[in-house]
Amino acid sequence: MSDLLSNLALGFSVAGTPTNIGFCLLGALVGTLVGVLPGIGTVATVAMLLPITFGLPPVGALIMLAGIYYGAQYGGSTTSILVNIPGEATSVVTCLDGHQMARQGRAGAALSIAALGSFFAGCVATVLVAALGPPLTALALHFGPAEYFALMLLGLIFAVVLAHGSVVKSIAMVLTGLLLSMIGSDLETGAGRMNFGLPELSDGIGFTNIAMGLFGFAEIIRNLEMSAESREVLHAKISGLMPTRQDIKDATGPVIRGTVVGSLLGILPGGGAVVSSFAAYTLEKRISKRPERFGRGAIEGVAAPEAANNAAAQTSFIPLLTLGIPPNAVMALMVGAMTIHGIVPGPEVMTKQPELFWGMIASMWLGNLMLVIINLPLVGVWVSLLRVPYRLLFPSIIVFCCIGIYSINSAPSDMLIAALFGLFGYWLIKHDFEPAPLVLAFVLGPLMEENLRGAMLIARGDATVFVTRPISGGLILLAVILLTIAALPMIRKRREEVFVESEN
Amino acid sequence: MDSGANPGPANAGLRSRIRGPRNFYGGLALVITAGVAIWASADLPGQEGFSFGPGTAPRMFAGLLMAVGVVITATGLIVAGPPVESFAIRGPFYVLLAIVAFALLIRGASIDPFGVPIRFPGLGMVPATFLSFMISIFGSKEFRILESLLAAAAMTAFCVVVFSYLLQLPFPLWPQF
Repeated sequence: MSDLLSNLALGFSVAGTPTNIGFCLLGALVGTLVGVLPGIGTVATVAMLLPITFGLPPVGALIMLAGIYYGAQYGGSTTSILVNIPGEATSVVTCLDGHQMARQGRAGAALSIAALGSFFAGCVATVLVAALGPPLTALALHFGPAEYFALMLLGLIFAVVLAHGSVVKSIAMVLTGLLLSMIGSDLETGAGRMNFGLPELSDGIGFTNIAMGLFGFAEIIRNLEMSAESREVLHAKISGLMPTRQDIKDATGPVIRGTVVGSLLGILPGGGAVVSSFAAYTLEKRISKRPERFGRGAIEGVAAPEAANNAAAQTSFIPLLTLGIPPNAVMALMVGAMTIHGIVPGPEVMTKQPELFWGMIASMWLGNLMLVIINLPLVGVWVSLLRVPYRLLFPSIIVFCCIGIYSINSAPSDMLIAALFGLFGYWLIKHDFEPAPLVLAFVLGPLMEENLRGAMLIARGDATVFVTRPISGGLILLAVILLTIAALPMIRKRREEVFVESEN
Repeated sequence: MDSGANPGPANAGLRSRIRGPRNFYGGLALVITAGVAIWASADLPGQEGFSFGPGTAPRMFAGLLMAVGVVITATGLIVAGPPVESFAIRGPFYVLLAIVAFALLIRGASIDPFGVPIRFPGLGMVPATFLSFMISIFGSKEFRILESLLAAAAMTAFCVVVFSYLLQLPFPLWPQF
């Protein structure tokens, strides 16, 4: 306990310097600014803004990125509530009741409950991350290559199970991502691999190019197809920012339950954050005495998923910081950022760079505080931003992405690669493939291959090592069980219902 | 997701055998991708003794992808599903053109696609951003010229302030001759 406090104190002494608070504030501000734009999800926001943190010192850059992440997520909720356009899966649920509240003139209450609920969830999750960090890091030190491989396999299976739609198609996306990650050169021998003799590909494909192509450009091309009306912004007046006493009373229980659900699911590798808001919403609806109010502007339907969403966003840092395994696409971007600053994510970060580790954890709490400070007074500004018509918005996003990509390597070929992935992403959407598992697999690819090779070498070519070592065997068993369950027709039907319900 | 979806009207000929076109064509593309990956990694050394060679993992994953692709293609033949939506041309065309224009103009480039070398001058960030914005705006049918010019100028100014002044990135701003 005293360890926890002294660690947090170290963290706050790092994150609490005026410069770092400034980075955190700036990150939360620009994150919200971009995240609030309709059709841009959290991943796209973080990918777009990643380059602006390159010039900063490592601690400052990661603190700012964390700020951007929370800001983007909250910005997405604002868009969901006001315009009914979810930037991505996590804010889909918030649309259901949040937008109904906005139509009833209670947008202010919905927004402030979302902010306060998220803040509460953020506080709890910060302590949880701090408490779980050291024991999990200690556990990670017992991990050999076999265990790492099994854990990443489990993470990918999670991503498959949690993705929309067909399990087989998600597996195909995982495999495509793994193959794409192998383009470039071999880790051990340095031999060129599948680079088709192109010098541009000899170092592999940059992660940000793929992320911006699949999430940024593809989404723009997709949005351009839709008619102007379906993107139209609601011009309702926002009055009464403060929730009533009754609102707060109604929201307290859902916020607490949402925090618990989100914290637990966020730790799971493979995108637990996405499913946490669904889970929290379903839970509230199930235990409610008047479930018929859900979908018609129930404040519980905003409070619970928002709290869950934020708690999961925070606890999803746990696998990254302790094991070095990014559990979702945003964390994968974080790995990219850390690598650029010369930090190898994993158990060593906590022991060798405690100020970075604890500073980031402290900045999570600060980031949440910033969100409340920024968002409550600035709601009016975000609303006016939503009135920018899409015909002017999308060219701005394109040039911003182009400059962002160029700033990473000063390589024009990177932009062409991103453009190709934009087309590829558009093709994927048309054929019901989901890009998220591909992106996660792309990031995990090199790590997986390295550990697979290492484990096989140590076991002298005996592939049974993955099932005979207890931890590794347990993880693989879990992965197999998950996959079997997801493939069972009954569960599959139920799973589709959850997603369909949320999309209507 | 596909099961129980309304089957489209039965067309005559080969196409009527494809009951779930999204799965069929999607799966087919995966099979081709896997084939390309196997071909591209064919010359890499494989397993030697206990240790994996550079070619082992790519061939392993490409083989798995091939299998999964075949399953998806077969599903497309058996299970009915919605048709593939038509692809838009205008949006993707102008979006891609804008990105390519930016890539070629930011610091200049030479390409020779048909044996004829074409040199693009390095215009620097200000003209490249402005032009790229103006090209992409045609991707939407709703463009208005005056409004677009003003927005392009504003966005260019914004990018210069953010990237050049605030972040101090070493971009040439204007044409270099």
